[in-house]
Amino acid sequence: METRELTQGGEAVSTKAAKPGKKDKKGKLLILLLLLLLLLAGAVIYYLLQNKSGMELDDNATIGIMPGIDIAQRQAELQAQLDEGMIAFSINTNPVFASGSAEGNLMIENPGNNAKLIVVELYADETGELIYKSKALPAGSYIEKTSLDKVLEPGEYAVTAYFNAYRESDQSYIGQAGAAIKLTVLS
Amino acid sequence: MKRKMISRILPVILIAAMLFSSNAYAANTAAARAASYQSKDVAIGSSNDVLMVGEIQPTIMSVTMPTYVPFNMARSIQGDNKVISPRITIKNNSSVPVALDVVYTAVDLSKLEGTTWSDGPNVGEKQIAVGFQAESMANQMPTSLDGTKWLRANSSDTINITSISALDSSIMYVVGTLGVAVPENAFTVTPTFVVRQAQ
Repeated sequence: METRELTQGGEAVSTKAAKPGKKDKKGKLLILLLLLLLLLAGAVIYYLLQNKSGMELDDNATIGIMPGIDIAQRQAELQAQLDEGMIAFSINTNPVFASGSAEGNLMIENPGNNAKLIVVELYADETGELIYKSKALPAGSYIEKTSLDKVLEPGEYAVTAYFNAYRESDQSYIGQAGAAIKLTVLS
Repeated sequence: MKRKMISRILPVILIAAMLFSSNAYAANTAAARAASYQSKDVAIGSSNDVLMVGEIQPTIMSVTMPTYVPFNMARSIQGDNKVISPRITIKNNSSVPVALDVVYTAVDLSKLEGTTWSDGPNVGEKQIAVGFQAESMANQMPTSLDGTKWLRANSSDTINITSISALDSSIMYVVGTLGVAVPENAFTVTPTFVVRQAQ
């Protein structure tokens, strides 16, 4: 059998015919290689699929440390919440009003380091009646003198001043702390 | 004779005039001094020579304290105290001693079915008790319940928690315990803190 091949110059030259057994061998090898490759690919795909099912994240899982597991961590979280709710304030323990409708030296202060809005309410201990309510005091401000919302008769009154704290950002309520004072109306 | 009379009377007139003028000057000076003080402050005492002026300054109470106290309870905590509490620092920034009271404690156990409140450490199977305890070891939550000031649920009884000297501070923790059958769910305890000038 004669075959013709083209040389670089385009000339056809005749070569000796290839041995028939060699070609068959090559074909078998190719098929074997292909089979091996297929087996390998199947194994890889199987492995990946098996692992993929193990890596699925649970929708019900919460990121973080489970409460009660790390006490120190939980305490640190609670400390942060407590610190946000701390409030500083000042008030006169014995404010005096010349008359029920006059201004008195209440001297309430929301210090600059508070970073909160404060609304002050005064309640008479005996009756539970609201006798004064301020508007919001920004941090770093004070009210030295003010008149009461309710005209009181001359006398001494046990009063509790409640300082209600609100966040500056969204004006949401944080909590309250109180101060017991004695209020005097002279005439 | 006439001359003799004049020479005797003249010294007497001169002495009398001198005495009168010096008294009148002294009276004028005291009146002027008194008037100048009265235009400024309220006199609380005076004498003929020295006028003392005083003014009573108002007593300002200045404190830093919590408006909200978060805490957790867990049976797994070692010791009698089953509360995880932040370190609560109360500062007295004023020059007078102050006392810190809880005047009311609002308690909501509605999510803990069948659970009741206890005013002390001896809790039943379905009871819960919470209070405050002063720090005995620096930065350490208490493990025992000794010396706890127990809160009373929905009661207006005033409970003194601590007293603080002028320009001093006090540190405390929430402590508490719970019975074995108390369901593990959320509940709220809201104490109202009121500070007052200590006697």
